[in-house]
Amino acid sequence: MSYTITEKCNGCGACARNCPAVAISGEKKKPHTIDASLCIECGACGRICPHAAVLDAEGASCMMIKRSGWLKPDIMLESCVACGICIDACPVGCLVLSELPRKKGVDAFPYLKDTKACIGCGFCSRECPVEAVVMQIPVKIEKVAASGESA
Amino acid sequence: MNKPYMGKILMVDLSNQTMTEEAIPDHVYEQYLSGMGLGAYILYNRMPAGADPLGPENILGFCSGFLTGTGSLFSGRWTLVGKSPLTGCWGDANCGGTFSPAIKHCGFDAIFFKGISPKPVYLYIKNSKATLKDAADIWGHDAVETEEILKQQYGQKAAVAVIGPAGEKCSLISGVCSDKGRIAARSGLGAVMGIKKLKALVLDGVQRIGAHDPAAMKRLSRHCAKWVRMPLPLTSGSVFARVGSFLRVTPVVFPQDGLLYANILKKWGTGGMNQASIEMGDSPLKNWSGSNRDFPLAKSKKINPDLIKNTEIVKYHCYSCPLGCGGICATKGQHAHTHKPEYESILALGGLCMNEDLDSIFYLNELLNRAGMDTISAGATAAFAIECYEKGILTKEDTGGLELTWGNTESLVALIKKMINREGIGDLLADGTKIAAAKIGKGAIEFAIHAGGQEPAMHDGRNDPGFNVHYSLEPSPGRHTLGAHLYYEMFQLWKCVKGLPRPSLLYTKASKYKINSEKAQTAAACSKFMSLANGAGMCLFGLFIGVKRVPTFDWLNAATGWQLTPEEYMAIGERIQTLKQAFNIKHGVEPRDNFISSRALGKVPQTEGANKGRFVDVEKLAPGYWDQFGWDTTTGKPKEETLRKLKIK
Repeated sequence: MSYTITEKCNGCGACARNCPAVAISGEKKKPHTIDASLCIECGACGRICPHAAVLDAEGASCMMIKRSGWLKPDIMLESCVACGICIDACPVGCLVLSELPRKKGVDAFPYLKDTKACIGCGFCSRECPVEAVVMQIPVKIEKVAASGESA
Repeated sequence: MNKPYMGKILMVDLSNQTMTEEAIPDHVYEQYLSGMGLGAYILYNRMPAGADPLGPENILGFCSGFLTGTGSLFSGRWTLVGKSPLTGCWGDANCGGTFSPAIKHCGFDAIFFKGISPKPVYLYIKNSKATLKDAADIWGHDAVETEEILKQQYGQKAAVAVIGPAGEKCSLISGVCSDKGRIAARSGLGAVMGIKKLKALVLDGVQRIGAHDPAAMKRLSRHCAKWVRMPLPLTSGSVFARVGSFLRVTPVVFPQDGLLYANILKKWGTGGMNQASIEMGDSPLKNWSGSNRDFPLAKSKKINPDLIKNTEIVKYHCYSCPLGCGGICATKGQHAHTHKPEYESILALGGLCMNEDLDSIFYLNELLNRAGMDTISAGATAAFAIECYEKGILTKEDTGGLELTWGNTESLVALIKKMINREGIGDLLADGTKIAAAKIGKGAIEFAIHAGGQEPAMHDGRNDPGFNVHYSLEPSPGRHTLGAHLYYEMFQLWKCVKGLPRPSLLYTKASKYKINSEKAQTAAACSKFMSLANGAGMCLFGLFIGVKRVPTFDWLNAATGWQLTPEEYMAIGERIQTLKQAFNIKHGVEPRDNFISSRALGKVPQTEGANKGRFVDVEKLAPGYWDQFGWDTTTGKPKEETLRKLKIK
């Protein structure tokens, strides 16, 4: 299954620019198409399309959400086992395992390094085997991420 | 999406620079999984008999683990396969890091290379689109530099596997690096990549990896994580030295629980057992001729695990590993950061050469990782050269002025540098002990400790006879990650697999050396299980925790929906193992030629130390082991009926 683009598309190209799988193609100002073999169903196209021209894998119309309203991962350090599955699941590579030493101990943990690059797909949360990644509204996240880094 | 495998491989012909995507039928995965199993299937069927390992007919494969990316833990290992130029046998090397899932994210279970490129190239895959690119600019750079250059160009998310200068110069003890110093080092497959003029693979894909029952996968992973996180009160690294001394003198021992090892690995990494191994006789010293008396506590305290841990700044986890035995260390000198040296590297560059300088071990480890040379073989070859020098077989003239004496750190560093650059004596030694001994002559072969041409790891088979069995009888000789007496105890396979013996709660050490059918059965069980695990991409250190706690069989069922019994999975391991042996037979290997050097067997037993008087008679152990697989008990060749029963023919 794959996301699809309807005739409502005006070819603005926002979805293609946002697609981490490079699955969307089309000429400027002409309707775009999604290559089903490349689509990973992250929903980034649906969230960014200003014309509600994207249908999800089940055929439901996607709603545009303001970028600032996209969900972002919040990592519960107490249950995290640092297996890195979330980092690998991220199609844009915005999560990394902390490379810098923390004040206390040497344990490594994943954190959201590139907040702007996050497309809010939630793959990190879905694939976490110990349910340590929760998708939250961004305002809260930034605070937690900042405190987590300095903890 | 619901299958744990991608169902496709990429076959790259470097001679004419073409690439072919091939669909692999489901029955192949059902019989061999992917990883090493798929690699063995492709190599056995497609490589002509007698192919030159350094010729265009050799096929080099990068195979992702079957369970990689399915939500299971400890399943991030990838296997490099090919015909080994070091041994002429089946060759594989295993590595963690982030490369295994990267292969699958590009839409393939494995990427194979045949032919020889007319000029240096590297493979770049963006999503599923593969291109061969000119590698003229990166050829000659070390492994870490190359990775940095490529990541700068293609983004930090890309996974990179690369050869260093040792591989480029076709050193037969070179490997393939990824993640800035993790290395698939054994079997000399870096030389195969070097002769093919393939500098690197850069993988940047986002395809999703599926599983039949993701919820069950997670449930099993949580069960596993619970065991891994269970803390044991381990205080100081020097405690283990005392434990090692105790294990040396006690005549009675008990089966060991891998949970303890997991905690040691978590806190110190593999180096946690440095001193203990020397004390108990697990670690060979002075080119396998010394004992713990030559490297007493006063010396070994300089490689105390706490000293290594003190330099660690952050833990390093391979993909899907909750344990994190690796670490990034801050070091003084040329390189600010380095991967924490592993036990094998520390002892090969330390005790085996009688070198007690920890700084030099850190430095040589980083140097060899950057060069893409196997630390085990490099250390063992250096130890061999030192012994030759001490015995007068090599002279100061031969060594270019180097005083190759035991424990001479300066000369050791200079020698390893020469080996990396193939300068002077280094050129002679860059292909391992067996080839060097043949070139030197003068009876040097007596001091070359190898199995089938490959230097065995830093686990003495005179201390654990299981190691000598696997060093000598595996299709890839000289390997320490496929089985041992100790491994069998820690795998706890008898808890899942019917018919396997449970070790007694207390037994005498001497009983380990008795040759009986139970020994053959347990050794074969280790080989089968590790073949299965290498197909699945599982990490040995995870498996040490025990098969009930790290539920490999259950993960396989949840990932595939096959609902096979553990016995049926063990049969898959048996099939992979037999296929590797059949590969060797096809290429004219005589299994008996791979027996490990007599010194390591204790043919002339040691007169002092932990392994005093120990001798392991592989000649007598071999028939029982071979019989367990349905291989001929005198030649070790798989019988026709065995091949038919396993559907190999």
